Amino acid sequence: MSRRRHLLRYLASRLALVPLMLWLIASLVFLLLRVAPGDPIDALLGMRAPPEARAALRAQLGLDQPLPVQYGRYLMDLLHGQLGDSLTNNEPVTAVIGHSLPASLELGVVALLIAALVGLAVGFSGVARPEGKTDLAGRLYGIGTYALPPFWAAMVMQLVFAVWLGWLPVGGRFPATLVPPSGTGFYLLDSLLAGSSQQFWGAMRHLVLPASTLGLLLSGVFANALRLNLRRALDSDYVEAARSRGLSERRVVLRHALPNALLPVLTITGITVASLIGGALLIEVTYSWPGVAFRLQEAIGQRDYPVVQGIVVVVAALVVAVSVLVDLLVALLDPRVSF
Amino acid sequence: MTSRLLFRTALATLLPAVALLAGCQHPHPPGQLVVASKSTLASVDPIDITGTAGLQLLSAIGDPLYATDAGGQLEPRLAAAPPQISPDGRIARIPLRRDVLFHDGSRFDAAAMVFSLERFRSLAKMGYLLDDRISGVRASGPYELELQLKRPYSALPALLSSISLTPLSPKAYQQHRNRSLADRFVGTGPYRLVSSTPQKQTLLPFARYWGPAPRNSGIHLVTLSNSTALFGALVSGEVDVLMSSGMESDQQRALAQRARQGRLVEGIGPAGEIGYLTLLSDRPPFDQLPLRQAVAHSLDRELISERVSYGIRAPLRSLVPPPLAGSTPPAWPTYNPGRARELYQQAGYCRGRRFTLPLTFRSNVPADKLFALTWKAQLERDLGDCVQLEVTGVESTTAYRQVADGAFPMIFFDWSADFPDPDIYLAPMLACNKAKGAQCLEGNAAAAGSFWSAPGLQANLEASERLSGAARLPLLLELQQRAAAGAAYIPVWQVAPRAWAQPSLQRPVFDGSGRLVLQALSVR
Repeated sequence: MSRRRHLLRYLASRLALVPLMLWLIASLVFLLLRVAPGDPIDALLGMRAPPEARAALRAQLGLDQPLPVQYGRYLMDLLHGQLGDSLTNNEPVTAVIGHSLPASLELGVVALLIAALVGLAVGFSGVARPEGKTDLAGRLYGIGTYALPPFWAAMVMQLVFAVWLGWLPVGGRFPATLVPPSGTGFYLLDSLLAGSSQQFWGAMRHLVLPASTLGLLLSGVFANALRLNLRRALDSDYVEAARSRGLSERRVVLRHALPNALLPVLTITGITVASLIGGALLIEVTYSWPGVAFRLQEAIGQRDYPVVQGIVVVVAALVVAVSVLVDLLVALLDPRVSF
Repeated sequence: MTSRLLFRTALATLLPAVALLAGCQHPHPPGQLVVASKSTLASVDPIDITGTAGLQLLSAIGDPLYATDAGGQLEPRLAAAPPQISPDGRIARIPLRRDVLFHDGSRFDAAAMVFSLERFRSLAKMGYLLDDRISGVRASGPYELELQLKRPYSALPALLSSISLTPLSPKAYQQHRNRSLADRFVGTGPYRLVSSTPQKQTLLPFARYWGPAPRNSGIHLVTLSNSTALFGALVSGEVDVLMSSGMESDQQRALAQRARQGRLVEGIGPAGEIGYLTLLSDRPPFDQLPLRQAVAHSLDRELISERVSYGIRAPLRSLVPPPLAGSTPPAWPTYNPGRARELYQQAGYCRGRRFTLPLTFRSNVPADKLFALTWKAQLERDLGDCVQLEVTGVESTTAYRQVADGAFPMIFFDWSADFPDPDIYLAPMLACNKAKGAQCLEGNAAAAGSFWSAPGLQANLEASERLSGAARLPLLLELQQRAAAGAAYIPVWQVAPRAWAQPSLQRPVFDGSGRLVLQALSVR
């Protein structure tokens, strides 16, 4: 069978598993939410309402129905592409996700760019002199970013750049006194499309701190991955062969070692992208970034079942899609991969 | 060489970029203010709103029929005069103002008020406000509202001061008569809502407002999700005013200090929230009255208030917080370790036998945890030979769900009234529909987790609902004295709302319901 047919079969088998995975995730989140103590009425009204009023509201929201009935209705809605309405404000969950997902994606994409640029630069910088000062500093940087608790790093950045220096805003996604641009939900893109430099810089100022924090925290992964793989590649036979042919060290590194070292980095990028779609919860919460993770955290606190279920299912679908895509990309780029 | 070049390039790119961004601050439009708080807002529709942030917003974009001023006095707002009550106390007629317009230009009248109240009764999550007290609503004239009451209720004007009952334009809400309108609001308030997202709402003055115009040219309400960010935003000048709701005591204290140094101005409102202990009185160990009374004498409120909140959560020995009627003199005893020791001894403890006091607190509420740990240390220090506190944390929704099942021998809760009246603090804890001696079998006292009642208590509560003014006061005091003697509830502290503003602004002021008066915010 040709490689292309193998690839298609591999893709089909991965895609066939997607509905099963989504059903499992949807069922798990449904069950876990119901098993967790307390329900939306407890979260909304606390101790304030009398028992009769609580029971009436429970019935109004359909939470008095037997669990199998609620589950059946939930699955039927999912099959029809409906995620339900929020229990706190009756807003369709698709709209809630539509508002918050672009914020997470915008933050994720910029953070990933920063992580890749900084991480690859740091990882690459030690290659000239292994075990030298730069290499050691790079290793320390990689370990340091692993070890830093994200919320602590975010708070320190916030304190230094927003409170002490006053250079950048403390949190939020857009200046309070400006009207956000409408369109795709990606404020940088929308403000560029609208041709408004005021909006663009406003959005950019709010994005810099969260994206830099997240990017720098993730960059250690890239730095270490590149460093290790590049070292391995430079020690391999084909690099020795290239050197023995009299190629310059620069050419050996850039043309022979680096492309091979970058393949595992691509897999890491895929995993990182997948985790960023779910949002970097602590970063979003610390910077009051209105992304999907921030909304999910709120919805869990409010026991807003449809919103939690909807966000988890959509994020799971996106994560699955990204991981399939990355697998395919790696398979296409690396002839050694068999499937 | 390569790495040095990389470093220099990065520095040469980053520094101008940061300088450029730092210089790109968008100035506030003149006269407009940014007010920050912690809570997000899922909806601006009164039928959805249950939390502080929503009620705060409604108080600026809506109007109640009556309002409580900072001194606790009720005054008509959209009502033209106090309600006229029928001789049997079951019908209330409320004359309405004739000069009020909704933000969409339509006229406010009795029909609009009926529309709004009926919508609230049938759809609102806080519909319980009216369910228990009002059986019907109708327009008895173009500008006269008639309410049929289930029983005589003297606190009706206070109930109608609840901002949740603000009128909505029937024209604007025609399509949303039976469902929520989460992101738009058309009411009668001094501001109109221009835009709304869960994290930001923009309010501009309503030019045709019937009352005094706001002293600023607009308000931007923003949400920052943590206390540190809120503190930083005010200190760095990013926001003009900061509300205390949800802020941690450390930061509140630091802001109060800055206010004392003249670097900020501070406003404090009337306390609307109380923190209290509920003791399960119909089961061991707290079925013994001496033990409950011993606990009431064991609480060093001053110390706890200072250690937990630097005094921001003021000690409270009454279920009704000041300045409401019946709050003074306080009915609960002061800290008295000597008397507590006697009572523990009476119950068989102290002589080589320590009573294990089981306290449950809400683990997701930081102040509750600090209260539990501080009290534990205080008891260990002062009454360590008689009692030891065993603390357990549970998530708040679990606590709310299980409290009516009698799951917690002693639990720490807070309570915020929906409108400022003593009844709204006493009835939810003391009312009992069915009692057997000192045990409440059915009613609010059972739902609140104390299961405590006393002969004649319910009759006193009902009498208090009928009376008003000076005639009501002795009854309110008696109710509290009886509750204090029963010691099934022990008030601990009260929480007053605070706000801090930049020194260039006027001192923030609060209304009698504890809401920041946004229209009064202005530059000095």
